[in-house]
Amino acid sequence: MSQTDPIDATDEMNRTAEQTISTTDGETAEETRSEWVDYDTGGETKLAIKNLDVYYGDDHALKDVSMDIPEQSVTALIGPSGCGKSTFLRCLNRMNDRIRSASINGTVELDSEDIYQDGIDLVELRKRVGMVFQSPNPFPKSIRANVSYGPRKHGDIETGLLARLTGRADPESEEELVKRSLERAALWEEVSDRLEDNALGLSGGQQQRLCIARCLAVDPEIILMDEPASALDPIATSKIEDLIEDLAQDYTVVVVTHSMQQAARVSDQTAVFLTGGELVEYDNTEKIFEDPESQRVEDYISGKFG
Amino acid sequence: MSRTTETALVREGRSSYEGAAATAIGLSGVMFAVGLGTLVDVLEITTPVAGVQLSTAMGIVLLSLGVGIISFGLASRLDYVDTRPQPSAGIVAAIAFTGVWFAIGALVAGAIGLGTVSWMAVGLVAGAVAFAVTAFPREDIGSTLPAGSVAVLGGVALTIGVIGPGWEWVLVSYNATLFGDTAVPVVVMFASLLTGWAAAKAYGGFGTRGRNVGAYVLIYLIVLSILAVLVGLVAFVVVKGSPGLFHGFSIGGEQVISWPFLTNGASLLADVAGVFPALVGTVWLVIGAVLFAVPTGVGAAVFLSEYAEQGRFTQVVEVATNGLWSTPSIVFGLFGAAFLIPRFGNNKSLIAGMLTLGFMLLPLVLITSREAILAVPDEYRDASAALGVSKWKTIRSVVLPAAVPGITTGVILGVGRIAGETAPILLTTGGGVLPGKSAAPSVLGGFQLSASPPFVTNPSLLEATSALPYQLYALITAGLSGNIEAPQQFAWGLALTLLLVVLVFYAIGIATRYYFRKKLHQ
Ligand SMILES: Nc1ncnc2c1ncn2[C@@H]1O[C@H](COP(=O)(O)OP(=O)(O)OP(=O)(O)O)[C@@H](O)[C@H]1O
Ligand SMILES: [Mg+2]
Repeated sequence: MSQTDPIDATDEMNRTAEQTISTTDGETAEETRSEWVDYDTGGETKLAIKNLDVYYGDDHALKDVSMDIPEQSVTALIGPSGCGKSTFLRCLNRMNDRIRSASINGTVELDSEDIYQDGIDLVELRKRVGMVFQSPNPFPKSIRANVSYGPRKHGDIETGLLARLTGRADPESEEELVKRSLERAALWEEVSDRLEDNALGLSGGQQQRLCIARCLAVDPEIILMDEPASALDPIATSKIEDLIEDLAQDYTVVVVTHSMQQAARVSDQTAVFLTGGELVEYDNTEKIFEDPESQRVEDYISGKFG
Repeated sequence: MSRTTETALVREGRSSYEGAAATAIGLSGVMFAVGLGTLVDVLEITTPVAGVQLSTAMGIVLLSLGVGIISFGLASRLDYVDTRPQPSAGIVAAIAFTGVWFAIGALVAGAIGLGTVSWMAVGLVAGAVAFAVTAFPREDIGSTLPAGSVAVLGGVALTIGVIGPGWEWVLVSYNATLFGDTAVPVVVMFASLLTGWAAAKAYGGFGTRGRNVGAYVLIYLIVLSILAVLVGLVAFVVVKGSPGLFHGFSIGGEQVISWPFLTNGASLLADVAGVFPALVGTVWLVIGAVLFAVPTGVGAAVFLSEYAEQGRFTQVVEVATNGLWSTPSIVFGLFGAAFLIPRFGNNKSLIAGMLTLGFMLLPLVLITSREAILAVPDEYRDASAALGVSKWKTIRSVVLPAAVPGITTGVILGVGRIAGETAPILLTTGGGVLPGKSAAPSVLGGFQLSASPPFVTNPSLLEATSALPYQLYALITAGLSGNIEAPQQFAWGLALTLLLVVLVFYAIGIATRYYFRKKLHQ
């Protein structure tokens, strides 16, 4: 609900425009070639993104991105800060619709159905495409209520007074769901004895895992994760990485990360975005990290450019 | 100042200086409290204390406080103690003391009967001297000398009785007389505020820390006096109203608690006249108004902040609601009389009063609910949307619970206002001056079913009913007389009952808010 000061915004735009020009100047030898991004993923395509452009006001945040994301695999998105990774992720469950200034062109097909066509039920779409945000955002409710929030609101778990009176309430299955979700998010052991405590009392890393658990409880088909391990210690991080690999057995996972090692460890294919919002290279993860086609990608991965 | 003293965390050799300054702060506080007590007539300035009148005693203490404050400044200036004064007391203090001394000079000159030009001149000279003394010397002198001198001057005046019990000053142009029992406490309170502040600065060793302590003591004393006034107001009503309220009150016996003032009507047959009808009337008026205004207000707030496009329309609504909230209550009363009464059987009725008060409450509920809803972080809405939860369910299960404390605050404030309203009740609800017990509305028992629309009727909602503030007003207008034993005592009891009813509604509101806050942030 905050509004950007128009003067500031124009300022920002001018600056971004200058920067883009200067980078293109410096990289004239290098440009995105279509064979670098036309990667045939092999598997069944779950999400097909075609010619996606995103503008925030006049700011062109994502430029003509096309890629296929295969089913039951992990796709990593890497790139320097501000290059549009989160923007891209938000397009996949239409969370960008909630940002007033954003306008989106192009198509995103989920199981061959365009999610940007008229008449799409956003509530239904977001049930199928879950999301874990870049900054943890638990509700000011108990830990248990946070995890069971989605299923409750969808009517998968009934806990209301009416349900209890008519005998439809099933506290055991709720208990089971909460436990399973928290266990998968590697949080159960830390919070099992204080499920009724307010989630805002958890540490930042715990909140991050709680948000993962909350997303898992809804049981979506696709899980979008925006830096799910940014506030975690190595042990919790490795648990989350295990979880991501594990999830790929059944789900389609798209994960944004700033850690090359993490991308290399967990993902099947990697997309590299570079400043200005372009997808520079998309390929098998091994290929990206061992022998990228683009010089800029190689520089970025080896830490020379960011 | 060398770097070592600047960074030394512990200053030595100041314990007796700090002790003296702390004593001065404490003494200033006591003097301030005693001054307040004499101002509100808890204490008399003629009371003998240690062989002299209270006003003389206060003068002696003020005098010594003033001398003490000045010597704190001197001791610091002459480097007997290790303090960290800044080069000047600052422009704010200088302007403040200029004003203080201008007023003192002008008042003294005026009181001894000089003409307009002369008292202006004396005031200006005093102000200029005070400005120079505050602004130019180092901070330790600049902030103690002008403050201490005020106390010395006041102390001398009180000690030798220039201002005392018999003193009076006829202010011709205001057509008023200032008496000693007002002037003495004012002098004492004002001087002790200044000495408290200056002593606190000395205690902090001047400089940044001294200013902190000084501001702290000043604010503390002022807050204390505001609280004292509040407590005094309540205590005044309690003292005056208790005899009426507890007339015939007993515990035990037939009924476990017998409280005739609250359970009787006013009638010649009852031993103790009571306010039952008005009490019940007020309670129902408030409940009715809240039941009407809270759902509508919160609903409108949800629509305006979650659904309506933010723009011209919402701005206009916002301005209009703010305007409605500041509309005088008599205007609401006229609206009720002209618009509601003809629609509810053409006579004054409980329901007309409920709706009128509800309309008065509505804008505040709307404003505060809207603020509270807008204050709920968007992250919660995003998180809920990303889980595939519809907008309405999100509002109901995330946004509104997070906004409840804010909404409750609005309702609490509003109830405080409408429960004490007289004008709208006078115009819409009416009721007798001294209604008997049978005149009390029985809303719960009054519902009747009928075969034709509107199917449910409630005659007691359509009857004129008394309410506490209205009955008090009617009693006073009737010249505090009537068919009851002691109308004066009755009226004070009524006032106390009204105060207690409002406090009970407050307590309910605050408990609700506390409960929901705790739920949100345990
Ligand atoms: N709500 C918004 N309104 C306007 N501009 C936005 C908004 N969100 C992002 N942007 C702009 O879009 C560009 C891409 O932002 P995005 O958040 O997608 O970057 P990111 O790759 O996720 O960066 P990071 O790694 O720092 O999270 C940035 O230039 C940013 O300023
Ligand atoms: Mg991001």
